[in-house]
Amino acid sequence: MIRYIIRRLLYMIPTLIGVSLLTFLLFFGIFSPETVARRNLSAKTPTQEQITTWIKEHGYDKPPVEQFKRHMDSLLRMNFGKSDKTKEVIWDRIHEGALPSFELASLSFLVTLGFGLFLAVVAAYLRGSYIDSVTMALAVVFMSIPIVVYVVGLQFLFGKILKYGPIAGYEPGIWGLRFMVLPVLVGLVSGAGYYVRLYRTFLLDETGQDYVRTARAKGVAENAVLFKHVLKNAMIPVVTTTVSAIPTLILGNLVLESFFGIPGLGSYLVNAISAQDFAVVRAMVYLGTLLYIFGLILTDVLYAALDPRVRLQ
Amino acid sequence: MNRTGSLRPRILFIVTLGLGLVGCSNNPNPPEWNEDGTWYGALAADLTNLDPNVSYTATDGVISDLIYPSYLHFNYLKAAPWSVEPNIGLTEPVRVPFKGVTHTDKGDIPFEGERWDFELRHDLMFQDDPCFPVGKGRPVTAKDMEYSFKRDDNPKVEFPLEGNLSDKVLGWKEYRKGFEKNGNANYDQPFEGFKTYPENPYKFSILCNQKYPQLKYIMAMHFTTPVPREAVEKYGDGFKLFHPVGCGPYKLQEYSPRDKIVLVPNENCTMATYPGTWGPGVPEEARQDAGKKLSRHRIVVKIIVEPVTSYSLFNQGYLDTTSVGTTNSHFMLPATKPGSDMTKRGITIQYGAYPSIDYCGFNMEDNVFGGYKLEKKQLRQAIALSIDSKAYIETVYHGMGNPSEFIIPPGLAGYDKGYQNPYRQYDPSLKKAKELLTEAGYPNGVSKKTGERLVLNFDTYVESPIDRARSRLMTKQISALGIQVVTRDTTYPTFVDKTNHKKIQFFYWGWVADYPDAENFCMLMFSQNVSPGPNNTVYNNPAYDKLFLQMQAMDDGPQRNEIVKKMRDLSVEDCPIIYLSENQFPTVFQPWVKNKFANPILNDVLEYRAVDSKRRQALQNEWNAPSYGLLIATLVIVVVGAIPAFQTVQRRRGRTVRKPAGGEKD
Repeated sequence: MIRYIIRRLLYMIPTLIGVSLLTFLLFFGIFSPETVARRNLSAKTPTQEQITTWIKEHGYDKPPVEQFKRHMDSLLRMNFGKSDKTKEVIWDRIHEGALPSFELASLSFLVTLGFGLFLAVVAAYLRGSYIDSVTMALAVVFMSIPIVVYVVGLQFLFGKILKYGPIAGYEPGIWGLRFMVLPVLVGLVSGAGYYVRLYRTFLLDETGQDYVRTARAKGVAENAVLFKHVLKNAMIPVVTTTVSAIPTLILGNLVLESFFGIPGLGSYLVNAISAQDFAVVRAMVYLGTLLYIFGLILTDVLYAALDPRVRLQ
Repeated sequence: MNRTGSLRPRILFIVTLGLGLVGCSNNPNPPEWNEDGTWYGALAADLTNLDPNVSYTATDGVISDLIYPSYLHFNYLKAAPWSVEPNIGLTEPVRVPFKGVTHTDKGDIPFEGERWDFELRHDLMFQDDPCFPVGKGRPVTAKDMEYSFKRDDNPKVEFPLEGNLSDKVLGWKEYRKGFEKNGNANYDQPFEGFKTYPENPYKFSILCNQKYPQLKYIMAMHFTTPVPREAVEKYGDGFKLFHPVGCGPYKLQEYSPRDKIVLVPNENCTMATYPGTWGPGVPEEARQDAGKKLSRHRIVVKIIVEPVTSYSLFNQGYLDTTSVGTTNSHFMLPATKPGSDMTKRGITIQYGAYPSIDYCGFNMEDNVFGGYKLEKKQLRQAIALSIDSKAYIETVYHGMGNPSEFIIPPGLAGYDKGYQNPYRQYDPSLKKAKELLTEAGYPNGVSKKTGERLVLNFDTYVESPIDRARSRLMTKQISALGIQVVTRDTTYPTFVDKTNHKKIQFFYWGWVADYPDAENFCMLMFSQNVSPGPNNTVYNNPAYDKLFLQMQAMDDGPQRNEIVKKMRDLSVEDCPIIYLSENQFPTVFQPWVKNKFANPILNDVLEYRAVDSKRRQALQNEWNAPSYGLLIATLVIVVVGAIPAFQTVQRRRGRTVRKPAGGEKD
């Protein structure tokens, strides 16, 4: 397994370089350094001298190969530098934004996952009953509605009708959890349907296996069949789908953070693209790739740990 | 039994948590700040730069102008026309004409210049900050104004109005070159255009090589605020956002990106009184504190990018004011109509004016639609007549604005209220427009020469549903002439790039004044400002240019207005621009807000507004009393709905295919 992990970590290097190169080519394929300078300078109509100075100051006057080498060198050393637009240190912004993003995303993820799994177990357990049908129908309905509808609807419900808890804002610490209730609820109603349907399918797949039939034939009670045998084996695909979501826990959720005033990283990359802030774009893409690769390695490792049939070579 | 028993604490925990959440207040603000008169506002975008010599966005200005006061400032109670008065200045600036000579390679060129003399108040102090010895703020002198002015001239500082000053202030270009050679040591070199007086540390002069009446507006912007050199040198890039150091009424206590900005009174600032004079139409409630010393309070400005969220918080009473724009007007305006729930609660809306216009333009260098021949003018005039400004204002601004007849908006000297642009009088039958189109050689939009339908490429940016609606409306209106309109929608940066490189044919654009002077609008058609400058139509009429240069150097008055009229008549006939709207900027106030007056040209409005915190508290409590009925009903439905499920679970719980022989072993 160690060899496998080392090999995967080594594969990471060309992947990171490839993604960074693609980002570099796409960005400067669309925008010229002059366009980027115009966008980042504060004047409505900057002078040619200001544009030239800005380009030189930020090193965008160098040959592309040299620029890319410089970018890659700093990225590999995890030195993200300063934002082209605001000049603030990018790591500082990531540090500040990662915690609120993680707080919201992890809470939302855990609650949604837990609730989704619970309903999936209920639906699978009561397969063919009206409860199963109603659960599945509601899951499809809730999945089909855009998240913005839930945001606006629940803000109206909680803010104007029920008047429980704050509808937007952020505060670190335990007392700040009150700000998380509504966004987590939105995450739950918009996301649980997906998990219910997916996990119900995994559970039903397992219930058709030979070992389940054997257990039943031995006279094992339905509860024991489901909770002791089926659920345990169904956890393998559950873990796979869960761990691959880890990068999104840190990189934030654009919609929830924007609507609920949570100062996370959800809008950082999007705003940087709009502002043509290449320093931030390359840093966030690099970080996202890194987290995603780690997420996938972790998935493989957990897969092997949970399923004795799987060997990492 | 054991299983049920272990569930009980969990259920109890969930119920307690639920009750806790239901019982907790929905007020997102700390209770102690709610009681002490803290002002709560919101910005729709995060800060980008608070460096006073660079900061240029309206959102940055709301904060930076409270920290960095300017020599002059706009009177809060005078709008359209606006008026500038001394702020950190002891006196009004004095303008002294003088004659000078510019030395060039081709010999000496004489000029008739103007010296502006200023004197700062003698009681100004910078805020306390670790950049000063012992952390105590020091007195502000003319040397700090000089340093700020020199920073404006440093190419690395990115001063946005460099183009305005570079050809007017004496020695500007030469001093600028010095930064290339000397770096920051250039700040210690003398600057020909800026003079300080050793005998009076508060006096300074700015020397211009021509009459420059607009300098008074530059001196009313934070670009010319005193800047402590110690702060810039200590904080470097940090000076831009996290460590602003000024001498204004407020100082930054906390800036949490994408969350909030907290400002507290600057204890070293003793100035600031509420205006004692006011313009016409100022409501009585805004005049109650006239001439009184301003009371200071904490200011919390939240960064809320989604208009729905700021609307909801305002509706609950947790924001003291909110502004209305294109993104929220479709729900803010109906919500504040007479008789609405909000107005019954005492919430009021005020319509403020800000000099700005929306317009469409033709690329005057385009082969089909550009040019100055009669048929080209007629073609543009015909298209201008096909666009209905009222429909545009209704679609884009939900009625907030008035049709525009010329480039100068109301409130500015040179604006002619009675003027009717002959090519902006929309007639639904399009009779005159079709006649002009025929005369231009395109009857019903088809070329007489080639028999081909005329195609107009409409370049615009689409970043919101409103942008798309605007694009669709104008396409539909112009198409009524028989012209095929091809919309080339792009993102905003791409659109700007295309306009800068003149890769456009017909485009939508707008202009928001840097300062309230007709010159700041008329220059949009001055040929020396062509793209990538602000003249994106690339309009080039020497007669217009000559008049512009004349009016630019004149003070407001009847003579200048006459010149503006001539410029108007010339440009309206050439028709490079189709004027659409003069915009309004409403502000909505809570009933507890004191000194309500909408004057959006001021960035530092929060200095003048205050709250009656007791009334705010009482009304917030009244408006936000929780409702338990719906919660109980929901719980009942869930419990009743779950009963059959529990029954089914109970039935299946011990069910087996057959009785186990020796019990379960696995």
